[in-house]
Amino acid sequence: MSRGGPGPEVHVPRGTSGVDPRAPDPLPGRSSKILGAGGRGPWVALGSTLIFFGLITLLVVSSPGWSKPGGVRDLFFDGALFRGSIWEILQGFVVNVEIFLIAEVLILILALFLAVLRSLPGAVSAPLRLLAIGYSIVFRAVPTILIIFLLGFGMPALELRGLPNGPNADIFWAIVALMLVYSAYVMEVYRAGIESVHPSQAAAARSLGLRRGQALRYVVLPQAVRRVIPPLLNDFIGLQKDSALVALLGVTEGLRQAQIEQATYFNFTPYMSLALVYLVLTLPQVLFVDWLIKRGVRRRAAGAVT
Amino acid sequence: MRKAFLGLVLLTTLAAACASESSEPIASGTDTGSPTSTVPVDPCAVEALPLYAAGTLTIATGNPAYSPWYAGKETAEGAGEWESSGFTGDPYTGEGYESAFAYALAEEMGLAGEVSWVAIPFAKSFAPGAKEFDFAMQQISITDKRAENVDFSAGYFDVNQALIANEGSAAIGATTLADLTDLRLGAPVGTTSFQAIEELVQPTDGGHAYDDLDLAIKDLKNGQLDGVVVDFPTAFYGYADVVVGQFPAVGGVQEQFGLTFSKGSPLVDCVNQAIESMRAAGTLDALKNEWLEVDTSVPTFT
Repeated sequence: MSRGGPGPEVHVPRGTSGVDPRAPDPLPGRSSKILGAGGRGPWVALGSTLIFFGLITLLVVSSPGWSKPGGVRDLFFDGALFRGSIWEILQGFVVNVEIFLIAEVLILILALFLAVLRSLPGAVSAPLRLLAIGYSIVFRAVPTILIIFLLGFGMPALELRGLPNGPNADIFWAIVALMLVYSAYVMEVYRAGIESVHPSQAAAARSLGLRRGQALRYVVLPQAVRRVIPPLLNDFIGLQKDSALVALLGVTEGLRQAQIEQATYFNFTPYMSLALVYLVLTLPQVLFVDWLIKRGVRRRAAGAVT
Repeated sequence: MRKAFLGLVLLTTLAAACASESSEPIASGTDTGSPTSTVPVDPCAVEALPLYAAGTLTIATGNPAYSPWYAGKETAEGAGEWESSGFTGDPYTGEGYESAFAYALAEEMGLAGEVSWVAIPFAKSFAPGAKEFDFAMQQISITDKRAENVDFSAGYFDVNQALIANEGSAAIGATTLADLTDLRLGAPVGTTSFQAIEELVQPTDGGHAYDDLDLAIKDLKNGQLDGVVVDFPTAFYGYADVVVGQFPAVGGVQEQFGLTFSKGSPLVDCVNQAIESMRAAGTLDALKNEWLEVDTSVPTFT
C-alpha cells in the first residue's frame, strides 16, 4: 500500500485501467477462490464443506438444551416472534441509519481537517500538530461507550445556551460522541494515505509553481483519499454497528426496540432479528470493500507490468 | 489433501460424539430430580426441596438493588457486593420489601431464614440454560407473554404504575392519559412501567427507555424528560418532587410481581404453597405496611 513512486497510477484513466480481462491472474499464488482450483478440487471442497457445517448444525441441534421447553430453540429461534418483532425493530433501526449517516459526513470532514493539521510542516504549527496528536490519542484510548455516557448525560446538565437541551439532545450528543471517537480513527487512516504519497509528488507540484496548500489539495489528497477508501469504509462499518450504543441515552433505536420486545416476551429472538438486520446492512459493504481491495491489487500489479 | 479431509471428518464426528455422550448424564440427572419409587410424605419438606444449594434459598436480583425494595447496608455477609445509598440497598440486610419477603419466605419454607443472593443482569432471569440460583426476584411483573418462556410464582405484591415529575415539568397537573400524549416520558427498558407508557399513553415520540432507573432519573433532572413512570411504591421514595398520578391497570388486569423460575422448575409448587400461607396469615400485608409508604389518595389517570 505504501510503496513509493505511484507515478503511473496518477495517469491511469478511470475504469478498467487497461487490464486485459483475458490475461491470467497477475497473482496466481494468492488466488482467493474459496472452493479451490479446477478439476476435482471444487467438488471435494463442496463435499467437505457440507459435511463440516452439517455436523456442526447437528451438534447444536442435538444438544440437550436445544429442544427442551424454554431451551435455546424456543428462546432464540421463535419464528412467530421473529415475524412479530422484525417490523418494529426495522422502524427503530431507521434512527440508527439517520445517526450513522449524519455522523459519517461529519467524520469525513473533521477527520480530514485533523489529518491535515497533523501533517502541517514547520516549527510554528507545533501546537496545532500537538492538538491533533493529543486528540487522536485520547479518543482512540477511551471506550466509545464511556464517551457516549459522559456526553449524553453530562452535557445537557450544563444547560448550555444554543445547544439542544430538550427533546433531541440525546441524538445530538450521541452523534457528537460517535463523531469524536471515529474521527480519531479516520484521521489516522487519512494520515496513512497522505504519508503514502511519495514526497516527490509534492516536490514536483511545488516546482510547477503550486503553493503548499494547492499541492496538498490538488496533488497529494486526491491520491491519498483514493488509496484509503477501503480502510475508511471498514471504519464506517464499525461506526454503523456502534450506533447501537446510542440506546444508552434513552433513544429508542434498533437495539433498544429489540430489548423492549425481548423483555416483553422474555425471549431473545428479537436480538436475532436485529442481528439479521445488521447483517443485511453490512454484508454488501463488506463485500464491496473486499472487491475494492482486490481491484486495487490488480491495478497496481497491472501498473507494475506495463 | 485426502488425509486432511479424512481428518476433518474424523474430528467433527468425534466432537459430535463427545457432545451427545456428555448430554446423557445431564438428561438422566434431571430425571432423578423427580420423585422415584420412594415417594416422600411431603414433597415440600426441607430435605426434599430441589434447591440450587441445599438448605438455603439462592435468589438472584439486580445490582444496584433499588429502594424501597431493598434498603440498608450489611457489613458482615454481603459486604462489598451491593452498594448502599439513599436509593439502593443491600439484599442481605433483610430490609426493604423484597429483601424482608425473601427472608420470611425462607423461614416459611423451613429453611430457617437462610438466603444467599446472586447479582445478575435482568436478562439472565429468563435466559435458557442452567442457573446458579433458584429464582429471580427483581420487581418482575407477571404477564401472559412472559409466562410462555418462564414459570412465575403466585404474585407476592399487587402493583400499579405511577408517574413522577419534578416541579416546573409540563406533566404537573395532568389528570387524563390524553394530557400525557405530547410529553416526553421515560422508564427503565423492559419494565411494565415502560409498557404503561407504550400501551396506555402512546406518546407521540414513542417514549424513552433506559438501561436503569437512575439513568431515567438523570434525564428527568436534566430536563430531557417531563416525567418518569415507576411502580407505585417507588414513586414515593423521593426520586422526584411530585407523584402526578397512577395508571389504570393495562387491559384491566391487576398487575402483580412474581418470582421468576426457569420453565418447568420443580420448585414452583412448594414456593407457591409458602406464599399462599404467608398471604393467608397476613404476612404479606404486614411486610407491605412495614416497608412501603404509599399515599392512596393519588388520583388515577382517566
